Amino acid sequence: MARTIAIVEDDPDQRANYSDAITSKGYRVQAYASREDALDGFDRELPDLVILDIILGEEVDAGFQLCRDLLSRAPQLPVIFLTERINEIDKISGLRLGAWDYLPKPISLDYLAERISSLLRINQARQEQQEEHGASARRVGELVLDTDALLASWKGKRIDLSGTEFRMLAKLVRQPGHAVSYENLMHATMQSLVTNNTINTHMRNIRKKIERIDPAFAHIKSEYGFGYRWVE
Amino acid sequence: MAHAGRGAFVRIFNRIRGPRIGIKLALLGSLLLVVPFFSYRQVVEMERLLLEGQRNTQLLKAKGIATLFNGRDSLFNDLPVSTSDYEPLFVQPLSGAVRIDGQGDDWGMNLDDSMMGFGSPTGDRDGDLRLLLGERNGQLYGFLRVRDAEHVWRDENILRLDKSDQIRISFIRTDGEDGRIALVGSPAAPLTAYAMDDGWRFAADGPPELRIQGAMVATGSGVDVEFRMPLDMLGSRRHFGVAYVDVDDPVERNIRQVTHTLPTADKAGFDLVVLQSPEVRRIVDGLGYAGARILVLDERGRVRAETGAIPDAGNTTTHQGVMDRARDLFETIRPLLHRITTGERYDPEAISVAESQETASEVIAAALRGEPIARRRKLGNNQIVIMAAHPIYSKDAVVGSVVVEENIDAIVSFQRSSLERVVLVSVASLLIVVLSLIAYAARLAWRIRHLRREASRAIDQYGRLRTPSLRAEMLAGDEIGDLARSVSGMLSKLHQHNTFLENMPRTLRHEINNPLNILSTSLDNLATEVPGVLDSKYLDSARRGVLRIGSIVQNLADAANLDDALLAEEMEIIDIDELLQNYVANCSLSHPGCQFVYRGADRPVYAKLADYRIEQMLDKIIDNAIDFHRSNSPIKVQLDVSRDSLQITVANRGPTLPPRAERTLFDSMVSHRGQDNRLHFGLGLYVVRVIVEHHGGHVRAMNLVDGSGVAIMVQLPLAQAAGNGVDAPRPVLARSA
Repeated sequence: MARTIAIVEDDPDQRANYSDAITSKGYRVQAYASREDALDGFDRELPDLVILDIILGEEVDAGFQLCRDLLSRAPQLPVIFLTERINEIDKISGLRLGAWDYLPKPISLDYLAERISSLLRINQARQEQQEEHGASARRVGELVLDTDALLASWKGKRIDLSGTEFRMLAKLVRQPGHAVSYENLMHATMQSLVTNNTINTHMRNIRKKIERIDPAFAHIKSEYGFGYRWVE
Repeated sequence: MAHAGRGAFVRIFNRIRGPRIGIKLALLGSLLLVVPFFSYRQVVEMERLLLEGQRNTQLLKAKGIATLFNGRDSLFNDLPVSTSDYEPLFVQPLSGAVRIDGQGDDWGMNLDDSMMGFGSPTGDRDGDLRLLLGERNGQLYGFLRVRDAEHVWRDENILRLDKSDQIRISFIRTDGEDGRIALVGSPAAPLTAYAMDDGWRFAADGPPELRIQGAMVATGSGVDVEFRMPLDMLGSRRHFGVAYVDVDDPVERNIRQVTHTLPTADKAGFDLVVLQSPEVRRIVDGLGYAGARILVLDERGRVRAETGAIPDAGNTTTHQGVMDRARDLFETIRPLLHRITTGERYDPEAISVAESQETASEVIAAALRGEPIARRRKLGNNQIVIMAAHPIYSKDAVVGSVVVEENIDAIVSFQRSSLERVVLVSVASLLIVVLSLIAYAARLAWRIRHLRREASRAIDQYGRLRTPSLRAEMLAGDEIGDLARSVSGMLSKLHQHNTFLENMPRTLRHEINNPLNILSTSLDNLATEVPGVLDSKYLDSARRGVLRIGSIVQNLADAANLDDALLAEEMEIIDIDELLQNYVANCSLSHPGCQFVYRGADRPVYAKLADYRIEQMLDKIIDNAIDFHRSNSPIKVQLDVSRDSLQITVANRGPTLPPRAERTLFDSMVSHRGQDNRLHFGLGLYVVRVIVEHHGGHVRAMNLVDGSGVAIMVQLPLAQAAGNGVDAPRPVLARSA
């Protein structure tokens, strides 16, 4: 049975483009133009994944509000935000149990499709993981990365990372001790438009999230003018 | 050149912007000087008016008195001839009976003041005599005071009468013959009068002349003589003379000296006894009043009656008080003041006594010609009087005149005191007005300065708004308050506009990103829908275009958000030497083909920084240096430490900065790259500046000393707790290669 993807986007052209692209990948699509429409639709049927534009019409935070509403109905539901407002997503994401990611506009439909499939897979993997533990896990020192379930943990404690952050961290620890350039890290974000600043922001977020568990954490080191290095 | 000239002109013009408010107010305040000016003029006019009034009053008085005498020419007819050929002996009318006893105390007047002096000019030699004549009931009274150290009485045994001290009276008798009377006497007996022979030796008739009585009393310094004779004896012409014969040696009894009142050589042989007309006097007496002198003159200008006296202007008090000193000062500057305000010379004292004498003669002459006249004249004792004269008519002929003299001290002192008051009030009010003007101007200038300072502080040197409103003068109700409110209103509108502009990139990004997204996703879908398109180069270029627009919008939004983003940054103390070392080393990796040289501080240099932002700043500077560097020349990065700051210098060889670029280089959207700046919006160095300023430092760009390239220097404060030693800064950009 085909998975159902809900798209909430007020612009008809973009909505149509997303629908077409996602439908062509073999998913069923529910497209909504406003928050109210979307809530009505969710009352009837919960999708398997939701793609949210943050600004809907006059409501600048409509996407976040929808996300909060969904939290009460389906805490595990994967969400993809279409925005560059990372900090605000973080505030919401801390409350979420489910996997989530974001994609700044202008988006590439290929990246979107990849994120959809990845999040769906992850969701499934997480549910299955309840029983068997981390077959696909990769261990780098105290860091454990489960690429299938998109779960990371430090010293046995889970770190709540977005898909983008997870991919960047995975890239960084692929060859521990080696410097990873900004360019490589940009590829890992799977976004079309990334600046050094974006990378720096992500890296700082990752550091902070780990430092919350372990204040002494100092394994991510800046290579000024080049990129980052994971030091053992 | 023309431009430079105009610039200089504008600069000079700007400097001479006109007087400051304080000076303007002071100039306006000086207009108040017209108040004392007009007051002075008014006082002068008033003085003139008062004098005119006084003159008219006196003329009226003179006229009134003259009216009393009109038609009564008989009153003046008792003086037969002109007095001008004779020396007159004035006769005072006596008010009471006089005893002939040699004592002058019953004359009813101050003898010393009234007596006429004869003999030596000083009046203190032996034989000098002083004479007073009086008239009562047809009798002529005489009182003599003679200085005579050795008094010699008559010796009864000597027949000759010229052998003792005696009084000789010469006159012309009613029958026209010469009359000679000698008054001789013994001690303690009245004087005896004898009519004398031609040589004054023997008595002409033998028996004494009994109509004439006299008394002589010895005083300490001489003798006092009193005598009386009937006026009838003198005849109508009243030729008369008195002499004192001084005999000092009681044995020889020769005449040592004769002192007489008889006239000097050019006059006739006798004095003229001038009697005032008692009738006229009686009329005039009742008219006298204080401070005025009334004279009645006959047609020959002889004084026929007089009453009243001009009191002495009096006492020139010694000036001591402040007021008096101010008065003195005022008196000294008054001529100048007078000249300035009225344009006339000021010299009330200019009329000399001599001139006054002439004035008096003129006045009398004019009155006797029949013209009523009033003039100002000066008396000897510095008194100014007004002299008014009115003719007395009888049968259409002038028979005399009435002269009224009155001093104008009252007017002068009124004028003086009102002038003083005017000056005082003017000076005081001027002072008050000027002081309050100064205070007001200072306050006004302070308020305006204050407002200006706050207004100019509201915007920083890059034109960014620091505060959306003013606080100074906002509650003031006057125009400055209006100005402050208007400026504040402008600021808040500007603030709204600025907020709008600041939010613009973000709004723009959102607004552009949506159509861009349509483009991007449409291109993706197109590629899936039409398989052949995927190979088209147009699809690629379209995608590149989308990305480029996206990155432009992103950069603009990032630069616009930089201030806010920096505020969210956490600063930590890091070793900037290590950071730079690391950075420059990595530069060689990320920019192959470029050569980088780093000269560090050889020891840790700690500063409080947001390291990503410093990295971002370095990225921008290095990008800039790479863009402009001459190929194969190294880009030098150097760290210098001074007492409390560090300096990062990035230098490259290559084209130098265009003139005047240093100032605008770090502004937003300013690029000095010329034509080929397709991907540059002048945001790079703007970002550098914002980051540096956020760290409390500053950045500048300058050409290398030898003109071979450009250096960008960033100065940042050192972390205070780091305890860096002080190094002498090495010469900046000492170039080794």
